[in-house]
Amino acid sequence: MIKLSNISKIYPPDITVLHKINLHIKPGEFVSIVGQSGTGKTTLVKLLISEEKADEGKIIVGGWDITDIGQAEVSSLRRQIGVVFQDFKLLYRKTLFENVAFALQVCGEPQRKINNIVPQVLKIVGLENKMNRYPLQISGGEQQRVVIARALIHRPKILLADEPTGNLDSINADEIIEILQKINKFGTTVVLVTHNREVVNKLRKRVITIDNGLIVGDQAVGKYAL
Amino acid sequence: MFLLSFLRVIKFSLQDIVRNIWLSIITIIIITLALFSVNLLLAVNILTTATVSSVKEKVDISLYLKSDAQENLILALKSEISNLDSVKQIDYISKQAAIESFREKHKNNPEILQALLELGKNPLSPSLIIKPKDINNYDELIVSLNKINNNIIESRNFDDHKAILAKINNIAEKANQAGLFVSSLFILITILVVYNAVRVAIFTHKREIGIMKLVGASTWFIRAPYLISGMIYAFLGVITIIIIMYPFLSLIQPYLATFFSGFEVNLLDYYNSNFLLIFGLEFLAASLINVLASLVAVGKYSKV
Repeated sequence: MIKLSNISKIYPPDITVLHKINLHIKPGEFVSIVGQSGTGKTTLVKLLISEEKADEGKIIVGGWDITDIGQAEVSSLRRQIGVVFQDFKLLYRKTLFENVAFALQVCGEPQRKINNIVPQVLKIVGLENKMNRYPLQISGGEQQRVVIARALIHRPKILLADEPTGNLDSINADEIIEILQKINKFGTTVVLVTHNREVVNKLRKRVITIDNGLIVGDQAVGKYAL
Repeated sequence: MFLLSFLRVIKFSLQDIVRNIWLSIITIIIITLALFSVNLLLAVNILTTATVSSVKEKVDISLYLKSDAQENLILALKSEISNLDSVKQIDYISKQAAIESFREKHKNNPEILQALLELGKNPLSPSLIIKPKDINNYDELIVSLNKINNNIIESRNFDDHKAILAKINNIAEKANQAGLFVSSLFILITILVVYNAVRVAIFTHKREIGIMKLVGASTWFIRAPYLISGMIYAFLGVITIIIIMYPFLSLIQPYLATFFSGFEVNLLDYYNSNFLLIFGLEFLAASLINVLASLVAVGKYSKV
């Protein structure tokens, strides 16, 4: 599903964030990528959604070589990968319904389909009664659930979650992880990037540990080792 | 699908204008103020041009004829002069018409009227008043008039007119040069003000533009609502300036008429007869600046 071969990323002038990373994530896996702040976890996510380009190596997502894709193809790639960000990245001037619908509108989906699907997805994350509210009128945990709903709306094969619990209290964090597990059970590959030890240890799934731009651990059923 | 996307883009644009109503109002106010400056400048240009044209229009050549010249000879000379290419109009002022005009002009001056009465005869000469077709070909007309050899012509001294004309042309040229410089400067400032107003408006959407890109929106899909908003701002700005300009022109027109008395200067008439041209061009120019600013600003913030 995701294959990184000898990936390196260097920020000018000479800060090596990732150094010859090799990684293979199979379809349907739930993988946690852990490591301390500044070790290159978020850069890895940025490479997978083509927000950054690798300086070396090859990236294949869902059989598609995205190493050197052009701007026009970037939009297409992002419509096929669900992404959950730590800082939510919601459009504050749009309602919850409009935020989720936007991801479908950019693909040119008909309004009837949007009106049908969006409430269903918002129901999955428990926000069906708040869909006409604006993001700033709901809590942080709820905002993150909207982001998950938006990420799921395309029924992506891959869901990337970059520190999704970073801005949440433990109760909301647990809820978010439960939702991610449910999504994984339906067959979606989930890549969770986090430095939350408690969350990783509870999951008992595959854990990849990154330190100083290198993969220093890869356990099938792992724990937060740093 | 294109139509659907296009309709969505228009919807997003209108939604954005309404949901950011204060920012929209401020942007429209800035565009309106910029257009008001442009219209003021236009009004000054119209007044200058109209005044200079009116002054030039008033320049004519008087050809004084002998007091005893016969009517049929005068009419023959008039016909000969009117056939010249550089002559726009020629009027014959008979001795009688000249004295009547003189009396009318000095009707409030009994001393002059009394002196005229004491003379016992009409001392004025008949004349031909010639208006040149093009004031710039004045010299050519003088040469042609000098070539006419007719005994009934009493005086053909045109030097005073040449001096006045040179002065008028000099003033007109300087007024044009100053107008062009001030207009260029003003238009440049206006462009920069509007351009920056739109860029600032889009800067406040910087975060949103990045998010739209991250959820898979194409650059076109992100840009288009801002381009349409830019055109709507320009349209509303032009509507506002029309609403402001007409009462303003109606208000100042009587003062202008008094100030430029004797000249044909009517700003309201000019605006009425060039309505589409003036406001159409202003809309096009404002839209173009807005679209350009939107393209640059959105392009800058959508590089994620």
